[in-house]
Amino acid sequence: MFMAALILILSTALFFFYLQAVCQKILRRQFSQEFFQSIVNANRLEFPCVRKAIEDFGSPVEYPRLTLTLKCDFLALTYLLKNAANVNQRYSYEERLLIVYFKLVFATLVTRHWLKLRETPAALKLTAILEYFANVVGERVNTVRFGNLTASDYLMNL
Amino acid sequence: MTDQILFQGLQYGIYILEGVLCLLLARQGARRRRLGLCVYVTLLFVLDGVARPAVLDHFGRTSMQFAYFYWLTDVALAMGAFLLTCSFFRRACAHEAKLWQLVRLLLIFVFILVLVISALSLTRHYTHLYTVFIVEFSQNLYFSCLVLNTLLFIMIQQLAIEDDELGLLVCGMGLQFAGEAAGLALLHLTSGGDFARAIFSFLNPICTLGMLVTWIYAVTRAPQTVPVDTLVGKQTALVEAVD
Repeated sequence: MFMAALILILSTALFFFYLQAVCQKILRRQFSQEFFQSIVNANRLEFPCVRKAIEDFGSPVEYPRLTLTLKCDFLALTYLLKNAANVNQRYSYEERLLIVYFKLVFATLVTRHWLKLRETPAALKLTAILEYFANVVGERVNTVRFGNLTASDYLMNL
Repeated sequence: MTDQILFQGLQYGIYILEGVLCLLLARQGARRRRLGLCVYVTLLFVLDGVARPAVLDHFGRTSMQFAYFYWLTDVALAMGAFLLTCSFFRRACAHEAKLWQLVRLLLIFVFILVLVISALSLTRHYTHLYTVFIVEFSQNLYFSCLVLNTLLFIMIQQLAIEDDELGLLVCGMGLQFAGEAAGLALLHLTSGGDFARAIFSFLNPICTLGMLVTWIYAVTRAPQTVPVDTLVGKQTALVEAVD
């Protein structure tokens, strides 16, 4: 009975560990270039500033602004993922998984704030997911051409 | 009724994904490093996708024949999963001959340990071979696979093995083992209660679906990462060329 209880607890914990590992493996995908910068500039996304603040000062901006920034960027990027240069107008499986992962990590960020623990690791994970989304959108948009310009060049020149 | 439709939907989803994965592996050719995976996926497709539905169709869901066949094939699949984990260890230790010798001994030891623990259980439950013993043997084997899989995952991280396909295959396997071991443990803890049975009947196909989707992703579009050493090497070469 004790053995079965131990197996149940460890297996459940490992299930979530592997789910996170799959998400991290997907996030390691290399893009042919940094597509996210043009999307960030065109849509005035703020997650690179959050990441820079963490890297430079070791801590994110004040908590209410951090959560609002990340949430707004997430909404903007998920909308773009679904609608920008996406013929099927729906998310792929890995995008769905990463959306769920973002929500879970966001929940841990909120929990960490309540428990007065360090929020930096969770915030960095969230910015990594947002960068991936921006890269995917940028890559898709980059394939659509407006005359001699790619869509991202067009957006950059606005 | 809704439960039945959902369960059937999950089952057919699994059969389709097993077939797709078989086709993908066949199309890409049987490479030596994927041999274990090809054999396991074929076994999974034949036993789970073809033989089980055939027996179910012939004898019915509530028949003893189907119950015996289900649990016997479950043991066969657990053994197959153990051998697949061994093949992943072999792939991870491809350039580490000494480490492989050590790992091989560990794998043999773990298998004997599971056999001994399950045999001890058999002496206590020899009258309930197909209920208690097989559930416990499968649970132990899946859990030992889960522990070995986790060791393999840690080993891949520690040795910095740049094989993203292997990493994703190991993660997918981990999802399946963790779900299966947790479900079986819950079944064992509650002595096969209705609640545990209901959870197990959904958890198992969901985990199998998760594993198959991860494996298809690994086989078709595993992220290609550039090793740090290569980048540094290229930069050094560039600096040397400029100088």
